[in-house]
Amino acid sequence: MSEKAKVSAVGLTKKFDDLLVLDNISFDIAKGEFVCIVGPTGCGKTTFLNILSKIWPATSGELLIDGEKADPKKHNIAFAFQESSAFPWLTVEQNIRFGMEQKNLPKEIINERTEQMLELLELKEARNYFPRQISASMESRVVIGRSFALHPDLLLMDEPYAQLDIEFRYHLEDAVLKLSKMTGSTVIFVTHNIEEAVYLAERCIVLTNKPTTVKTIEKIDLPYPRDICSKEFTDIRDRITDYIKWW
Amino acid sequence: MTNDGEKMKKALCAVISLLSVLTILVFWYMISWKNPELMPTPVETLKQMFEMIVNPTGVSLFEHVAASFTRVFIAYFSATLAGVLIGVAFGWSEIFRDFVHPIFELLRPIPPIAWIPIIVIWFGIGEVSKIAIVFIGAFVPIVVNTYSGMMQMDPIYEKAGKVIGANRKEMLLEIVIPASFPHILAGMKTALSQSWACVIAAEMIVAQKGLGYLIVRSMESGNMGNILISIFFISGISALLSYLFNKLEAIICPW
Ligand SMILES: Nc1ncnc2c1ncn2[C@@H]1O[C@H](COP(=O)(O)OP(=O)(O)OP(=O)(O)O)[C@@H](O)[C@H]1O
Ligand SMILES: [Mg+2]
Repeated sequence: MSEKAKVSAVGLTKKFDDLLVLDNISFDIAKGEFVCIVGPTGCGKTTFLNILSKIWPATSGELLIDGEKADPKKHNIAFAFQESSAFPWLTVEQNIRFGMEQKNLPKEIINERTEQMLELLELKEARNYFPRQISASMESRVVIGRSFALHPDLLLMDEPYAQLDIEFRYHLEDAVLKLSKMTGSTVIFVTHNIEEAVYLAERCIVLTNKPTTVKTIEKIDLPYPRDICSKEFTDIRDRITDYIKWW
Repeated sequence: MTNDGEKMKKALCAVISLLSVLTILVFWYMISWKNPELMPTPVETLKQMFEMIVNPTGVSLFEHVAASFTRVFIAYFSATLAGVLIGVAFGWSEIFRDFVHPIFELLRPIPPIAWIPIIVIWFGIGEVSKIAIVFIGAFVPIVVNTYSGMMQMDPIYEKAGKVIGANRKEMLLEIVIPASFPHILAGMKTALSQSWACVIAAEMIVAQKGLGYLIVRSMESGNMGNILISIFFISGISALLSYLFNKLEAIICPW
């Protein structure tokens, strides 16, 4: 299994001074897999992603991509943050192009993917607007577009829909699933919302309270698009809810 | 409906503003009419102004304006250039900050005008001195704003850049500077009005030309009309400059 893993976390540990937040977390993720991480508030989900993306150093442990140490300069990692991170000085279109231009992708590819993202995320009309001129939900879509446009090896998403209204969430969840299949990106998606996790994920990693370890990894073997009212769906959802409720 | 309401409101605002100007004119007229030794009437002042423009004795009004303007122009642009560079260096390099910051903090509270004696002794009473004083006045707010804009940047943008794999240079040029740009412009705006204030002050002390000089000369010769004219021009030009600056800001910083 481990030769085939796209992303492996090996004994990731993070301490803030004396506060042990992440305690020896290990797992493998296959190429193109969609994994959700759920866990109680404040358990260290954001911290975990910050370490995976190399924004912060781990206290100990390693993150491997394709068996090599992860490096943002070499690997293609994208991150949709919990807070909105669309650059206010760039237009919607320029925001989506930004990452690709940083990575010096060929012009035709940049143009093609930009159009594709604008189309898929329904941002075409807003392409020349600045972030302050658009709604929070549009801004989230801009960040999602900017991330997926990179066709990243690893895409980290930290509750990207926290600010969105329910109706739009489902719409975007479908878009994200479609994009992840299309780009073949490996996605790690953090959420509070267990229903959302079961709707999206092929596997769901459940974290414990601090000091945080992996409580369990739940395989969700349901076909897409999933029916949130079906028995199988609610069974899995309730099982995961129980894991989290246990403490 | 709301549109009509908006229009009404705008019209009302315009009327009120007009009234305020009229009030001043009326008061001015009353005071000057009752006490002609205090100031000339608005009409006389206007006449005097035309005289100064069309038929000047010695240096014309426009030459005074041009002299002040040129000084501000040179000093302001060099201060912007230097101020942004130093401000960015402050924000970016910890070593530079630790070294220069104490000196800067020590000199910063000194009002630009307090430099006049030193500058006159060092540079004499030529153009260089006036430009240097205006430069000091403009330089400080630009450095401070540029630096604090960089410090106040939302760290999320830095994170976003880091994840994308931006190196230090790209981070500075494509993220930190654009993110602080509104602050830099705010500093430049303060600096512009500071420059204008400083040039007048400097000219009041060391000059043979310029609006500041005109005021002092008029005071010495007891020519109230000329003093009033100078004051109108000073405030009018200052208002014009900030108006132009706001227009420019909307063009170069539309977000
Ligand atoms: N920079 C930091 N310095 C010290 N402690 C930190 C820092 N960042 C986070 N923590 C602590 O680490 C723990 C985990 O924080 P984190 O933000 O990762 O949680 P989270 O699971 O993302 O929470 P939420 O569900 O609210 O998004 C918290 O107890 C927090 O106080
Ligand atoms: Mg979080």
